[in-house]
Amino acid sequence: MTNPLRSPGDRRLPRVPEPCALVVFGVTGDLARKKLIPAVYDLANRGLLPAGFVLLGFARRDWEDGDFEQLARKAAQSGARTEFRASTWERLSEAIKFLPGSFDDADAFDRLAATLIELDASHGTQGNAAFYLSIPPAAFPTVLKQMQRTGMADNASCHAWRRVVVEKPFGHDLPSSRALNDLVDDVFTAQDVFRIDHYLGKETVQNLLALRFANTLFEPIWNSHHVDSVQITMAEDVGIGTRAAFYEQTGAARDVLQNHLLQLLALTAMEEPVGFDAESLRTEKRKVLGALKPPTDFAAHTVRGQYDQGWLAGQRVTSYRAEEGVAADSRTETYAAVRLEVETRRWAGVPFYLRTGKRLPRRVTEIAVLFYRAPVLPFAKTDTEELGANQLVVRVQPDEGVTLRFGSKVPGTTMEVRDVSMDFQYGEAFTEASPEAYERLLLDVLLGDASLFPRNEEVEQSWRVIDPIEQFWAEGGEPETYRAGEWGPKGAEEMLARDGRTWRRP
Amino acid sequence: MTTLWDTTGTAVVKALAAERRAQGSISSGLALTLVVVAAEGQVVEAEQAATRAAAEHPCRLLLVVRRRPDAPESRLDAEVLIGGRLGPGEAAVLRMYGRLALHAESVVLPLLGPDAPVVTWWFGEPPHLIAHDPLGVLADRRVTDCSLAVDPLAALGQRAADYAPGDTDLSWARTTAWRALCAAAFDSVSVPARAATVTGAAGDPARALVAGWLAACLGIEVALADGGGPGIGAVSIELEDGEIGITQAGRATALLTSTGQPDRTMPLEPRALGDLLAEELRRLDADETYARALGRATGSGDLSGRSDTRTHVWHDPTGSTDPDPALTTT
Repeated sequence: MTNPLRSPGDRRLPRVPEPCALVVFGVTGDLARKKLIPAVYDLANRGLLPAGFVLLGFARRDWEDGDFEQLARKAAQSGARTEFRASTWERLSEAIKFLPGSFDDADAFDRLAATLIELDASHGTQGNAAFYLSIPPAAFPTVLKQMQRTGMADNASCHAWRRVVVEKPFGHDLPSSRALNDLVDDVFTAQDVFRIDHYLGKETVQNLLALRFANTLFEPIWNSHHVDSVQITMAEDVGIGTRAAFYEQTGAARDVLQNHLLQLLALTAMEEPVGFDAESLRTEKRKVLGALKPPTDFAAHTVRGQYDQGWLAGQRVTSYRAEEGVAADSRTETYAAVRLEVETRRWAGVPFYLRTGKRLPRRVTEIAVLFYRAPVLPFAKTDTEELGANQLVVRVQPDEGVTLRFGSKVPGTTMEVRDVSMDFQYGEAFTEASPEAYERLLLDVLLGDASLFPRNEEVEQSWRVIDPIEQFWAEGGEPETYRAGEWGPKGAEEMLARDGRTWRRP
Repeated sequence: MTTLWDTTGTAVVKALAAERRAQGSISSGLALTLVVVAAEGQVVEAEQAATRAAAEHPCRLLLVVRRRPDAPESRLDAEVLIGGRLGPGEAAVLRMYGRLALHAESVVLPLLGPDAPVVTWWFGEPPHLIAHDPLGVLADRRVTDCSLAVDPLAALGQRAADYAPGDTDLSWARTTAWRALCAAAFDSVSVPARAATVTGAAGDPARALVAGWLAACLGIEVALADGGGPGIGAVSIELEDGEIGITQAGRATALLTSTGQPDRTMPLEPRALGDLLAEELRRLDADETYARALGRATGSGDLSGRSDTRTHVWHDPTGSTDPDPALTTT
C-alpha cells in the first residue's frame, strides 16, 4: 500500500528513507571521520534520517559502543556542515553501535549478521541495511566473501533490502575492475551496488543536466557544428599529503582522470535521457563512454607530468620525489592531460581536452565549452584583436556557477570588441541550501536512488580508454617535470598548440 | 546604504542602481522579488526573518511600511542597501505615509526584478480580501500568517473563502515538521486508518490544518483536543490493527510510538520565522496539498477550482465602516 500521507504534489515533506542500518567498514579511517560521520550527523540534523536508524561501525578495534560514539562525536563536531546541537547528538548517539572484528574473522561476520536481525527488534530497522566499504581495495574480496557466506547480502533471504557502497578506486585496470565488478555484483545484485563518485553529488554537476535539458537555448548549439572544443579541468593546489603509498601505485590518470573527469565528460557529451531515472541516465552515459576513442597518437595526444619543487601560494613546497614515502626515481605522474574524441554524429571531430594535476596554482574544477569564432567579422582586424572564442563554462568548484563569455563593445568612440563574462553564481545564491556531496549521495543510497552512481559498465568503459594510455606511459621514459605552482608541464601547452588552441586559464 | 527622505519612486530606482554600481555587484542571481508588508513596530522582526530567507534564496527585498493612511500629507521615505543588514541581496525599506499607503504599488512596481516572480508576505493581520491590496494582486505567491490575527480561526476561514491558487499561510509551514513525522510513521503502515485526534492549543490554525490534512488524505474524521501548546502538542492515529502516536517531548524532540515497534525519539526543532518564510520561497507554484487541507479544515469544500488571477478591488479603509486591517497599520 502506498503511503496515503505522501503525494508527489506535497513537496514540502522531505524524502526520508525507510528504516535501516548503515554499516560502515573501516570506520576509523580518514574518509569515515572526515566525510561519512559528519554527513550522517547533517542528515540527522536536517531530520532526513528515518525513525528506525542505526549507524553500525565495524573495525578491528577492541571497542565498546561508547568508544565509537566518542570518535563519532568528535568527527561530527569538527566536520559537520550544520550547527552541532547536543539534542540531535543525544538522539543519534542511541543509534550508534560498534562491532569489533577483523575482515578475515568469520565469527565477527556471524555476529554482524545476527546483530542486523537484532537491530530490528531493538531499533526497528526492519532488517534493511546498507554496507559502506570504506576499506582498501585489497580487503574487498575477503569482506565480500564473508558477506556472501553469511547471506547478509541477499535481499530475499533477509526479507529486506541490502545495499553496498563502494569507493574508488574501482580496480586499477580493466581486468581488475571487471573482477571486482563481477564479485560485487555476484554477492549483491547489480542494482544494489552504489559506486560513489563524489563529484556527481555536487549541485553544479546536477545543474549541468538542468542547464542542458531544461533549456532550449543551449541544446541546439551543443554539437560539432558550433562547438570547437571542450576543456575539462580538475586542478588541485595540494600535494599528495600522506597518501604516498596509494598515490605511488595510482597516479593522476587512475586517481582522477578515469573516474571524475570521464564522468564529467559523459554528462557534458551525452544525449538527452528519456527520463531522469537511474536506468535512463546511466544508459546515456554508458553510450558516450562506449563511443570514446582512445588517442591514436599517444605521444602527441597524452601528456604526463610530475611536480618539481617550487613556490605555491607564497609557500615553498617540495618536489614529488622528495615527498615522504615516494621513491627518489618515481615515475608516477601527478599531472595528466589527454585529448579524446567522442565518435558520435553529434561530436565527431570535436576534441575533448581533459587535464588534472596536483600542485597547480589553485583548486578548481570546471567544464569549458568553446565555440567557433565567427567565420567573418565585419570589423577592422584591429577592432577584434581582444575577441576570443565564445565560451560557456560550468564551474563545478569553487564558486559553483555558470559563466558565458562573449564579445562586447568597449565604450568609446572606436569600435573595439572585447570579451566580457556573464556570471551566474550558483554557490553564492543558494549556498545555505546546498548539501555536501556525501550527504546527498548517502541519502540517495538509503533511498535506493542510483541516478548519481556510475554503473559497472561505465567503469569498465572508462578503463578501456585509460588502459592503453597507461600502457604507453609504462613503456616509455619519465614524466615531464613542472614547477609546483604553475599550470602543468610544457608538453600540455604544446599538445594544444599543435591543434592551434590554448588552455583556458581556469 | 542610501537613505532618502521625502523622496519619489524614481529616486529609489536610481539609488538602487547607483548602490549596485558602487558595490560592483550585478543582479544576475536575482531569482525573485520578496515584498514584505509590515507595521512600523514590527519592522525589525520582519527584517530578521526576511534576511534569513534571503540568505537561502537570492531575492530583491522590498519592505513596505504603511503609516497612517489618514494623514493629510503623502510622503515616501526610503532606505536602499546592498549586502548589509538585510542579507546578501538588494534591499529597500519603503515607508509610506498618508494616501500613498493606499497606492503602494506605484512605488513597488518599478522596483520589481525584471520577469522574476513576486512573493508578497504580510507580517501582521492578513488582509480581509487580498484583492483589496494591490501588493497582493501583483504577486505570484502570497503568504499570510493567520496566527497573528486577532481571531486566528476566523482568519483561517476567511483565507479559505478568499483562496486563490498561489496563496499559503505560515500556519501551514508550521505544520510541515509534524506532517513529516506523521508521514514517516505511516511509511510502515499497511492498513487503513480509522480515526485520528490532533491535540494542541485551542484556536491554533496549525492544529486545524494538520487535522484537515489528515482528514483529506486518510478519508476519516479527525477530532480536535485542547491541551499542551503553544501550537500542536500531539497527533494520534488509530489504525485497524494498532495505533500511532506522536507527542511533543521536550523543546526539540517528539516521541514516536507505534504498536508493535520500539518507541523512537525524533527531531522536532522549533523553527524561526525566517525558516518558515524560506520554506515558502522554495516553492513558487500553487500548493495543492495546502488547498485540500485548508478546504477540509474550514469546511469550505474543494478549493482547487478557484481562478488564480485576482483583480484589484478599490477599498478605502479610512472612509469605510469596515476597515481592512492590513491597510490600516499605524
